[in-house]
Amino acid sequence: MRFDFVEPVVFALLAFGVIGAGAAVVLLNRVTASALLMALSFLCMAGMFVLLGAETIAAFQVLIYVGAITVLIIFGVQFTKQGGDRSYALFFQKQYPLAAALVAAVAIPVVLFAFSFNAPTPQPGGGDIRPLATSVFTDFAFAFEVASVLLLAAMVGAIVLTQRDEPPDGMRRRR
Amino acid sequence: MPVGPFGLDPLIWGPLRLVIAVALALFLVLNGALLQIYLERKIQAIIQDRLGPYHVGPFGLLQTFADAIKLIAKEDVRARATDPWFFLAAPALVFCPMLASWVVLPFAQDIVGADLNIGLLYLTTLGSMTVLGIVIAGWASNNKYALVGGLRSAGQLISYEIPQILALVSVALVVGSLSMVDITRSQPGPLVNVLVLPLSFVIYFIAALAETNRTPFDLPEAESELVAGWLTEYSGMRWGTMLALSEYGNVTVVSSIVTTLWFGGWQGPGVDAVPILGVLWFTLKVYGVIVVMMWIRATLPRLRIDQLMTFCWLGLIPLALLNILVVAVLALAFPDTKIPIAIASWVLLLAFIAGIPFVQRRRLASLRARASASAVRAAS
Repeated sequence: MRFDFVEPVVFALLAFGVIGAGAAVVLLNRVTASALLMALSFLCMAGMFVLLGAETIAAFQVLIYVGAITVLIIFGVQFTKQGGDRSYALFFQKQYPLAAALVAAVAIPVVLFAFSFNAPTPQPGGGDIRPLATSVFTDFAFAFEVASVLLLAAMVGAIVLTQRDEPPDGMRRRR
Repeated sequence: MPVGPFGLDPLIWGPLRLVIAVALALFLVLNGALLQIYLERKIQAIIQDRLGPYHVGPFGLLQTFADAIKLIAKEDVRARATDPWFFLAAPALVFCPMLASWVVLPFAQDIVGADLNIGLLYLTTLGSMTVLGIVIAGWASNNKYALVGGLRSAGQLISYEIPQILALVSVALVVGSLSMVDITRSQPGPLVNVLVLPLSFVIYFIAALAETNRTPFDLPEAESELVAGWLTEYSGMRWGTMLALSEYGNVTVVSSIVTTLWFGGWQGPGVDAVPILGVLWFTLKVYGVIVVMMWIRATLPRLRIDQLMTFCWLGLIPLALLNILVVAVLALAFPDTKIPIAIASWVLLLAFIAGIPFVQRRRLASLRARASASAVRAAS
């Protein structure tokens, strides 16, 4: 008995998850639901990476995008004021031709580009953490360091922005 | 035709092995939760000079089974104003990552679901997904206590993830692998990693207490102030899945990580002769760690939320970063021996423990000075 059919089926499910959840993120009315479905989309994308044999990338995808960024967005949504359920679907309602034209303008070149090259055969899974680490710290060391400086600057900026001016003594809040 | 184990076709053996592994993990999660609730009640009872459960079954052993049957038989209640899809999805989102973590736990030699070469990364990844389920549960409940509990939990879990991962990194630096099996194999005999890296063990253990919502870090549910936090609206088996199964399952996973990384996993006397003995050693070590967690729960009071955050961001994270720096430098400088790392790690740990009273005294002094200054101003 052959199990060759499993991989296309899994791919189809994941692709449906990525695209369906992505479309729902844009079309749904509620911001929180959009944020959560975005996490689903990220998860399905991580599944794609596993199919390609890149487990490390998949793990980082889940760790960073599902575990950190989605939670950050949900925090942002819940800490900011919501004017009830705003109908984001209204954005498209009277402008279907324009929306379709824009989507086509982006999608057709992307599809053409995607079909223009042959995909390399996927590597067998596993064993990709050492090559990844080696290439990050040798070939891409400069980019890696620049990215870390950028993150450091962002961190310092966040601390400066959120720091309250010290109130005069006595008015100080209980910490 | 290639023949796999038990004379089966490998193509059939592969899926069959997966089914067996998942069934075993489920079995262990369900029964482990029952056993750990019983242990928790008994240990707390002993510490607090009570009897604990003793009516149902011998020594009250069947009490938790009776509770579980009660939970399953309960009516499935859902408030009307909750968000139906997310309310129903949240328990699964909390439960599934926990169950998936069991895949990489090495119970004994060759008894492991999958020996991923990114095992540690996989475990941290799944740990970070739990946050999402908890936040969804808090939000979908449409209840202020649940929402506050969920947000508190998210803040706590995200904060304590950082020292947790940093502590794991120092082990990976010393061992040179992320695979749980390789890490176990790297510590044969009595020289386990806890003797080499005691500081990272302490950091990981404290962070793990917070990650699994154990006292003194059980703020997300905090029965006395938040009724039950993000679990407020849940009842019956949904509550049972979220609280009992997922939390105790996570406790077991975390204890297994501690056992594998710092206490030699399934290694122990007689394992080379009888490999199946590894299961016994692994279980004994895991339950040793769990019992320590329960002992802590019965001993320490709950922290305040700002103390919790201050301790993580001003205490644990700088310490974990310092630990990584020292371990990385020493591992590069002395690639052949672990002794310098062990000495440095013990010195840092002792300095950390000895430093706590000084930091605490200075903090208290500044708080008192502030309080008396404001009192003087109010009086004048």
